[in-house]
Amino acid sequence: MIEILQQIINGVAIGGVYVLIALGLTTVFGILGIAHFAHGSVSMFGGYLTFFLVVTWGLPLFAAILIAIVVGLVLGVLIELLAYRPVRHASHINAFIVALGLTMMVEGLNLEFFGHEQVVIPTDLSRVFEIGGVTIPELRLYVIIAAAVLIGAMTIFVEKTKTGQAIRAVAQNRDAAILMGVNVNTIPIVVFSISTALGVCAGVMVGSLFAIAPGIGEGLVVKGFAVLILGGLGSIPGAVVGGLVLGITEALAAGFISSAYKDVIAFLAMILVLLVRPQGLMGKA
Amino acid sequence: MKLLATLTAAIALASTAAFAAEKTLDIGVSDALTGGAAVYGLPQANAVKMAAQEINAAGGIKVGQDNYMLNVIAYDDKANPTEASNSVRKLIDRDGVKFILGFCCSGATGAVASFIEGEDAVMLVGNAAERSITTREIPNLVRTRPPADYTGAAAGTFVAEKGHKKVAVLGALDVGFYASYVDAFEKELNKAGGEIITRESFGLKDRDMTPQLTKIRELDPDAILVVGYVEPAAFIYRQAVELGIDVPRYGFTSGSEEQFLRVATPEQMEGVWDLRPTELTLLSASENGVAYHKNYSEKYGIAPSPSSPYAYDQTYALKDAIESAGTVDDVAAVAKALRSLQVPDEVVMQYLPVQGKMFDVNGQAYTSNGAFQWQDGNWVFVQDLPSDAAAYSSYLSTID
Repeated sequence: MIEILQQIINGVAIGGVYVLIALGLTTVFGILGIAHFAHGSVSMFGGYLTFFLVVTWGLPLFAAILIAIVVGLVLGVLIELLAYRPVRHASHINAFIVALGLTMMVEGLNLEFFGHEQVVIPTDLSRVFEIGGVTIPELRLYVIIAAAVLIGAMTIFVEKTKTGQAIRAVAQNRDAAILMGVNVNTIPIVVFSISTALGVCAGVMVGSLFAIAPGIGEGLVVKGFAVLILGGLGSIPGAVVGGLVLGITEALAAGFISSAYKDVIAFLAMILVLLVRPQGLMGKA
Repeated sequence: MKLLATLTAAIALASTAAFAAEKTLDIGVSDALTGGAAVYGLPQANAVKMAAQEINAAGGIKVGQDNYMLNVIAYDDKANPTEASNSVRKLIDRDGVKFILGFCCSGATGAVASFIEGEDAVMLVGNAAERSITTREIPNLVRTRPPADYTGAAAGTFVAEKGHKKVAVLGALDVGFYASYVDAFEKELNKAGGEIITRESFGLKDRDMTPQLTKIRELDPDAILVVGYVEPAAFIYRQAVELGIDVPRYGFTSGSEEQFLRVATPEQMEGVWDLRPTELTLLSASENGVAYHKNYSEKYGIAPSPSSPYAYDQTYALKDAIESAGTVDDVAAVAKALRSLQVPDEVVMQYLPVQGKMFDVNGQAYTSNGAFQWQDGNWVFVQDLPSDAAAYSSYLSTID
């Protein structure tokens, strides 16, 4: 029993990272219909930047994260204005190609600015808590808490604020939103800003829990899209449930079946869910 | 007037001779300069460049009347078999290189070894530890690092002598040479009444090994054995502590202090064992090793990885072989000279010659094996492990 609980705790931490990645992707996809493949690379940029600020500039971790988030917000604006806005009214294939090009560009910039070596963000969070035989490393605990806070903040923002309502209105019916006076030109900027900032947070989590290195962002974005499909395209609760299901399934599969097939097993679980609920766990039929 | 003409002719002859004496010899390096295996490949490439500079500064390689200055052409094979094949093809076909060094990783090295016999080139393998590389009787291939199972058997004996009966293995077991290390380890452990209670694996890009470690924790082992690249191994050591696994941790990784400390704290590393060939560790290094460590650190601003001297030593072995063969063009003669070579004075690793030669009939060199332990932030050499190079060489000759 303790082993199962431990595996679930293991899975919740990595699941929290998947949720943040998927939240960014699902808002962009749900509202703008763009498969933003560069999201993983942008996340890695956030992690690299935080590492750079902490290690090279000697900033405290929390300050470095805040700066990285602000940079992420600005970067999101730039991505929308410079990369996606010019192809907004073009065929979907144009945005698709832009997304692929952007991925390569951001990966290249990461390589140029931060080098090819794996980096780990130093945190000094090395205590370990034990509750009833289940151990929780301090860092993982903070990652779980931070992910929960960000998910909560995102939910409140979308559900309770005027901007959030406008975002939902554009997602549901763009023409009706225009008729209701929503400025549909600013919504994509807001969406990309928030999405990128969430991605930066995920990058920081990956960089402190594990490591940041070239190529990791690509793997992360694949997992993010898997969560999207699992949870339901465009659904925020779906991203949360899907991310946690994927993280926990991976941990249980690696622990009880075989670590060699953990990805296969996780994706098999995803296919099984889709066979029963093609719209995803929380998607609308 | 006649004297002046004679003098002019003499000067012209002398300058022609001097010009002829100063030649350039291109040598190639194919290694992982980027990607996950760069922790091994990049230091190897750096080591070859440093050795080449030292050789050039000392007057180059002397062949007859000529002095050859070495020029290193290095390509990134990313430890990928296809990339490595392409790199070596480029070196041979486009750059006209006849001597190719580096080769940190077994998959990429095996791919090149499969076709090198038909090429007019000599391949000097470094850190790649897959046994089959030197069982194929390839006359133009030698390797400075001993095969993984040679070390695995020694490690199994050592762990058994520590009294451990139940050992859990966590490794990159889909990589052939890591699996062969564990197989040899298990054989010796079984002889002493011990057993491997589980073999958990991870991918070379994996960084979260807590699911496997959680499973291992439930099995209550006496010790764990970690075999894999430095970075995932460092995460395993860190995550084992985080999960409260308080048993001796043994490994086969060959990482430097700096490489481990990028991931784990000194406290998380304290007490970890590395059971590997007696590679470069500053506290146990020979005079050459200390000088190598100093020169490398000054030149590249970072400490060398323990396995990087395999490539440094390749360069000096090649120098001696070329000088012994007296040619840079007759590749077969240089390859033959390598097999007859005594251990060069300049090498860093402490080789165990077989019948007085650095490389045995299979083209394989041997170092002793050693047990290193992490103590107060450093790898400390604790003791030699059983290392019967002659017996292993005979065994290697029996394998097809």
